[in-house]
Amino acid sequence: MNPLGEKYLRKPFLPFLFCPGCGDGMIVQSFLQAVDELGIIDDLAMTAGIGCSAWIPVYMHADVLKVLHGRAIPAAIGLKASRPSRKVVVFTGDGDGLAIGGLHLLHAARRNIDMTVVIVNNQIYAMTGGQVAPSTGVGSKTQTTPYGNLEKPLDGCKIAVAAGATMVSRWSTIHTKQLTRTFKKALNHKGFSFIEIISQCPVQTGRYILGSGSPQFNLQWIRDNCVPVKGPTRWTEIESEGKIPVGDILQIEKPEFMEEVLRMNRKVKDEAKGAGGDR
Amino acid sequence: MKAAERIEIDRRYCKGCLLCQYVCKFEVFEPGHERSALDYRMPRVAKIENCRVCGLCETHCPDMVLTVVAKAGGKENP
Amino acid sequence: MKQGHIKVMMGNEACAEAALLAGCRFFAGYPITPATEILEVMSRRLPLVDGLCLQMEDEIAAVVAIVGASWGGTKSMTATSGPGFCLMQEGIGLAVAVEAPCVIVNVQRGGPASGQSTSTAQGDFYQARYGSNGDYSLIVLCPSTAQEMFDQTIKAFNLAERFRTPVIILSDEVVGHIREKVTIPDADDLTFVQRKRPKVPMGEFIPFQADADGVPPMPDFNTGYKIPVISQAKSLNGNRGNAKEADENIRRIVSKIEDHMDEFAEVLTYGDEEAETAFVTFGSVCRAARSAVDMGREKGLALRSVEVKTVWPFPDALVRRALDGVKRIVVAEMNLGMIQREIERVVRDPEIKIELFSKIAGIYPQPQEFLRFLEVKR
Repeated sequence: MNPLGEKYLRKPFLPFLFCPGCGDGMIVQSFLQAVDELGIIDDLAMTAGIGCSAWIPVYMHADVLKVLHGRAIPAAIGLKASRPSRKVVVFTGDGDGLAIGGLHLLHAARRNIDMTVVIVNNQIYAMTGGQVAPSTGVGSKTQTTPYGNLEKPLDGCKIAVAAGATMVSRWSTIHTKQLTRTFKKALNHKGFSFIEIISQCPVQTGRYILGSGSPQFNLQWIRDNCVPVKGPTRWTEIESEGKIPVGDILQIEKPEFMEEVLRMNRKVKDEAKGAGGDR
Repeated sequence: MKAAERIEIDRRYCKGCLLCQYVCKFEVFEPGHERSALDYRMPRVAKIENCRVCGLCETHCPDMVLTVVAKAGGKENP
Repeated sequence: MKQGHIKVMMGNEACAEAALLAGCRFFAGYPITPATEILEVMSRRLPLVDGLCLQMEDEIAAVVAIVGASWGGTKSMTATSGPGFCLMQEGIGLAVAVEAPCVIVNVQRGGPASGQSTSTAQGDFYQARYGSNGDYSLIVLCPSTAQEMFDQTIKAFNLAERFRTPVIILSDEVVGHIREKVTIPDADDLTFVQRKRPKVPMGEFIPFQADADGVPPMPDFNTGYKIPVISQAKSLNGNRGNAKEADENIRRIVSKIEDHMDEFAEVLTYGDEEAETAFVTFGSVCRAARSAVDMGREKGLALRSVEVKTVWPFPDALVRRALDGVKRIVVAEMNLGMIQREIERVVRDPEIKIELFSKIAGIYPQPQEFLRFLEVKR
């Protein structure tokens, strides 16, 4: 166990249930590195739903609430509302976050609630054995698209931006340093931060879609296809080449929901007192 | 230039994915024959003398089982 | 709201005010007739007591949000009607599985599906108990008056905290919307229960190991316990359980409630306790049954009305006792026969006649119809 693991992992729950070479474990480490540098493990409240990526926070020795498929964001909102000073982080996947959980993503982003949503995109439903996901490429032969996927994939980052997220980034599992930097940025960002991580799934995506279950092959695929990019023009160019642009997409400051709600509530309460006593 | 004292691989949790070999730019690792406690064939530190303590194997290991220990005098692995 | 006085209130308003008094400081909901007033009152009142009310994007978000807030350490509640209650079922199972205290109000309306949005009904009797997947238990209370909406909401929060369970208040449109006198007790006359919190530090705390009463202490998030709470059947340390551990976990969360029913089960009897003919009712139908008993007395009929106030876990022993000596039972409910089945199960005497007086489609049974039923069905 490396020193970071010794310090932060929930030892009785080891080993990670992830398959050999899975990107999820790499994300655990990149995230813990950020948490360590910021020193915030005690303030973290993490939620997750169902899927491989949902287990990421469980292995960290912190407060974790792992709920139903697609419902990590509402659980996070409840935790945030209960004590707004909490640092709330949601771990979700491309299925959990964009299919069944899509509605909650839209509204949390729209409200610009102060939380970080990490969406681990392995372009498939891995935990259940390799079915098509909203992020799966056209033509892919999965367990539920045996003749080839006809659906155009959803771009989670574009959705987040359109819905009102105030910080949006996309990286991949191989970009560990950039990920740690982005996690730190998101944890310090006041507002809805959205981080998509393209992640390798050697066992499902690798075998069924890419042609190999080798972890090395799959990480090479990530390296070849996830191209760090700056600027919207280059972003579109990379997309039209059929590759995945990664980088920081957006960071702006807008009024944060919880802060605004609390401010309004205080004002209303003061006015009610002024108007003559507790109702 | 930094050099490694040793590279520890936690055989309790190694899954033999060999991503350490993949990310290493200095050919330190090779597939080995020893099996981990989870019954996966572990990597072998074949050329410790090549290691520059860059830390990539440690930070990219999906099971956090690798620890690179630098030789005294150089910076400790972060 | 000042306590220790009388106010005329709508049942839904009484529910909201009681929740605030009980310490509810988070409400997440979604508009749905005939429960919307609860959300609206909470949206006006919670900010005034440093609480937070959120209208969520759907009922699923609402029920999961209150589970999150509960683990955050806040007493929380949601309210809905039949269609929203259906959507919340997975979330109710979640609250059970993670043992999160919370209160869910279902102000029943006509079903199935969109049914009759503005008409009363009692068709969710079984859904309240069995709507979620798998084996579990929970507590369901049935108010008949605005006063009972108030009192049972206080009770619901106390039971939720005591047993670390979701508690369902199974109301209906009549009770939700009726406006009548509610006596709000003095604060000194009320008891409020808080969940047990751990007394030992994190290193010694085993998250899902129960005390002798079957309920583990529950730490708030971010108070140093770093607790893993998952929706799967679990072992004592919070990880996914093996078969034996899952078996123990499931049985414990059922028995923690069902072994302690004497703490909260309530069945009332109105009228002649020796009468050989009894009505059995729950919810708003209790009101008509009482009037029917009174009307019957004037005509020289000896009648009693048995009112089940805590319908789940079903209070077998209390119901049997309340029906002691009865030869003829008329179960009156606004559905096609639900609590009737429980009465048949509980009263297994072929000598006793059990009949169903059923009214659906939002048509509330009138007291005189009870008496007519008795005559016609003799």
